[in-house]
Amino acid sequence: MKKFQIVALIAIVAAIAILFSASKDVSEYATFEMASDGQRVKITGEMAKNKAIEYRPDIDPNIFKFFLKDSEGKEKQVILAKAKPIDIERAESIVLTGSLKDDVFYADEILTKCPSKYKDEELSLKKV
Amino acid sequence: MNEIQYIGEHLWVGQVGHFAVVLAFVASIMSAIAYSINAKNENYQNNWRSIGRLGYILHGLSILTIVSILFYAMYNKYYEYAYVYQHVSDDLPLKYTLSAFWEGQEGSFLLWMFWHIVLGWFIIYRGTKWESPVMAIFAMAEIYLSSMILGVHLEIGDWVTKFGSNPLLLLRETMQAPVLFNNADYVSLISGNGLNPLLQNYWMTIHPPVTFLGFASTIVPFAFAIAGLWTRQYKKWLTAALPWALFSAGILGTGILMGSVWAYEALSFGGYWAWDPVENAVLVPWIMLVAGLHTHLVARATGFSIKATIFFYVTAFPLIVYSTFLTRSGILGDTSAHAFTEMGLEKQLIAFFMYFFIIGLGALVYHAKNIPSKDKEESIYSREFWMFIGSLVLLFSAVLIGVPTSLPVYNSIVSYFDESFVGKVIQDVVPFYNKFQIWIAVFVAILSGVSIMLRFNEKNFEKRSSFLMKHLGISVLLSIIFTGILTLWFKLYSWKFYLLAFTGFFVMFSNLDYIITVIKGNMKLAASAIAHFGFGMMLIGLLGSGLNKETISTNPFMFKDMFENEDDLRNYVRVIKGKPLWAQGYWITYESDTLIGRNRYYDVEFKKVDENNNEIERFKLRPSSVYSNDFKTQNVFNPDTKHYLTKDIFSCIVALAPTKQDADAAKLFEDSLVWNRHDLLIGDTLRTEFDNWYVINELSYAPSHREYKPEDNDFGIEVNVTAGNYKFGNKFELKTALGLQGALLYKYPDGEEDLGARVRLSDTFIEEIFSSEDQLDYQEIEVPSLETFEFEDMEISLTGFNKEPVNRNYEPEEGDIAVSAQMIVKKDGKSIPAEPIYIIRGSSPMGVKSYVPEFGVHIRFTNIDPVSQKFKFQIAKDKRKMNFSIPLEITENVSRSDYLILQAQVFPAINLLWFGCMFMMFGLFMAWILRMKENNRREREINS
Repeated sequence: MKKFQIVALIAIVAAIAILFSASKDVSEYATFEMASDGQRVKITGEMAKNKAIEYRPDIDPNIFKFFLKDSEGKEKQVILAKAKPIDIERAESIVLTGSLKDDVFYADEILTKCPSKYKDEELSLKKV
Repeated sequence: MNEIQYIGEHLWVGQVGHFAVVLAFVASIMSAIAYSINAKNENYQNNWRSIGRLGYILHGLSILTIVSILFYAMYNKYYEYAYVYQHVSDDLPLKYTLSAFWEGQEGSFLLWMFWHIVLGWFIIYRGTKWESPVMAIFAMAEIYLSSMILGVHLEIGDWVTKFGSNPLLLLRETMQAPVLFNNADYVSLISGNGLNPLLQNYWMTIHPPVTFLGFASTIVPFAFAIAGLWTRQYKKWLTAALPWALFSAGILGTGILMGSVWAYEALSFGGYWAWDPVENAVLVPWIMLVAGLHTHLVARATGFSIKATIFFYVTAFPLIVYSTFLTRSGILGDTSAHAFTEMGLEKQLIAFFMYFFIIGLGALVYHAKNIPSKDKEESIYSREFWMFIGSLVLLFSAVLIGVPTSLPVYNSIVSYFDESFVGKVIQDVVPFYNKFQIWIAVFVAILSGVSIMLRFNEKNFEKRSSFLMKHLGISVLLSIIFTGILTLWFKLYSWKFYLLAFTGFFVMFSNLDYIITVIKGNMKLAASAIAHFGFGMMLIGLLGSGLNKETISTNPFMFKDMFENEDDLRNYVRVIKGKPLWAQGYWITYESDTLIGRNRYYDVEFKKVDENNNEIERFKLRPSSVYSNDFKTQNVFNPDTKHYLTKDIFSCIVALAPTKQDADAAKLFEDSLVWNRHDLLIGDTLRTEFDNWYVINELSYAPSHREYKPEDNDFGIEVNVTAGNYKFGNKFELKTALGLQGALLYKYPDGEEDLGARVRLSDTFIEEIFSSEDQLDYQEIEVPSLETFEFEDMEISLTGFNKEPVNRNYEPEEGDIAVSAQMIVKKDGKSIPAEPIYIIRGSSPMGVKSYVPEFGVHIRFTNIDPVSQKFKFQIAKDKRKMNFSIPLEITENVSRSDYLILQAQVFPAINLLWFGCMFMMFGLFMAWILRMKENNRREREINS
């Protein structure tokens, strides 16, 4: 066997091993139900309408509270360790990373998917 | 319904544009066919080539027409066009017109095509034997790209599909707004949406053209590799393609680097690389190009790894297209912070990259047997062997970035077949990628450090081995020493990072050694050593700025025991205007703010102190906020950074008080305030439940409130209030006014953030002291000459007349006869002038009354009797009480709004990162220029 083939073989074995080991860092999008064991999860949902959202930078700028409705329709309070993301009210969907503790979801990462800038927007008219 | 004849539309723009779009598409097909037919022709200078050229030139001219006409429409703000409407606005500064041009997807496709045209025309101009096959590939890509702006709807039965999105569609063709579009003159009513404030930044002007030139340039190595296979000149293409590949890797790398600098310098991301899918997607093809460059050099020098080079080049370009598919299809919505949303071109983009994957890899497989490869094995002591291994490591890196980034694609494919499929996601993205890439970096560093000292086609290693051992040994030793020194600067935490630091130094020293001892400072041979030196430097910079990033703005007294990793999460502090805040050895003070254009700049002073609070240094940073186009919100923040040689101090506003950030929130807040009325006499002290006290010092009829403009008001009244808090022992001067303008009453409140209080005058106050005309009982008084007379408790003196009276309630007209009576009203030892005017306009008498608010007296000058020489006045008094109280309204416990939520971080060694990256790009460009010159010289030799 050529040296090159040996190297290639090692590389392939290593690649499989790494991708295999990486697969444990990959998980499914969770629901509140699945997060009930307190594991760190990524959860998708949308902001629960008509529930309180609270960002009080004068009290603690690192805390933003709101309610998330998960993909199964369950609503729970979220405490996010960040400032209030811009336009979160308009987000179509929200992805949070964190864990559930005492019925509150503590999140430290957030990603919001916003609708296209021009969709459903009123025409902007000249100011008279 | 009748067709509406719209006015004010510039329809010729769209007509020219539509024609050019179709022509561009058709011409690219013509060019692709003609060039393809001619691709394998030995006698390439024939009519097919001419047709191909004609097609490509025509295509290029059409695209340039669309670009110029669209730019023209944007420049002149023809809002009847949807693209113009969406991307520019009346208030958009002209310098951002270019940014607005490529903000949208159609514009960015045009930019991409523009570069393909420039590169393609250059290749046509050179007119080498490679022109036909290479340009056939160019033209094919242009068919796909111009189809993206075609904007054709195909209907076959029930099946409707959209081909492309035309940038020159009219707004009324794309939007449903029947009321507006029933107006024939709707054009005069609309104004554009404008450019996203986040993108109103010079980076948006320079980053996209560079990045798209990078995108466009990757097609050249692809096309040359295909041309080599097509013409079965499996080796010859390598020479012609080398400068192009170097250029492409350099310019694409520069584009990525600029994106990174932009994110760090001007956006509020708080970093330069986040393993975001959008970043990863374009990093993968760059790594493939760089891997290809290495096997390319091996192939040129030794004849090994031609197939590998073709493989890397024919995947890099489709991967670029794939990356645009990822960012433009909306598929990354759940995983990326900054991807586009979908616009219905997904299928076209898939067809685009699949086509080029298939023809690229298909051609490689088809020709694989015929591609020459060496029977002899490369020596383990040769440079080519280790360079090849290095390329494999890079491929490995690309796979480990590309596959996880494509997880959303996998998810959408699986859920297409299985609707109950939930979708997989990487839990914590940054550690996930770092974990693998750190080993890639270690391997690449060791390989490039060692192989630079080896030689191609090594046949006599024994002789060289002692030289090699000695030199590598010195580099290893120096690297160990320097890693030790580095730990004095910043922490390395774990053995993996020690190893990475060591390898970073090793590649730097080994490449320096190569420049000094092997090529003896001959810079013409130093390009690769410079690039690799930069790679090592970049690794050290990454360790400093990534691993040792420190947060100044920590918030240790805030929430506890909620998050496990809470020390890393408390990153923001609240800085109140004028009140220094201590954080991590700095006194941070928000001093003031200034509005410049659409940006509000906040002056924040940082004072670094030692343990004894002695000042070490102080500097000012000016992070800013950007107002939305309608000035209602300020949600976008730009950071400011203090640069040192060894570190950066980065600051960015994270939020403002909600009432400052959003005009609607401010209105809601104002409406929610509860005002309590207190009737006070001047000099009375009021004490409230919040331990605040208030005293009215003075009532004045000439308000000096900062917002009050006398010319807008008929009558103004103001009180000066001194207020303070018993507990804090502070004292503030406040001023609040009322202004009456016709029947409208304006309030001018005042407040003090430190007291949490605001004061204003009750609007009944005006009625209490001021009577309107119909409530007044005028008394007629005749004055025979300049004399003093009594009126109730006042003395009024008529002192003279003025035939050219000036009064802001009187506008003289031609033919007016106007006289004013100069009077002095006296009461309680106070004298105040009054000057009513008597006017005869035409034949009817008029007047402008004079009001003395201090005494509440209204004086009208009603007649001059020409016979008796008497002057008639009408005088009335307001129905106000003798010692009236002042109704002061107070609201308390108001939360303050004069603060910033600030993030401040230290990035150590970040300059090593930037300089390292610049050395890498410099090395690539240097190699590009040298190889290009070499090729030109060879060509001249062949021709002569």
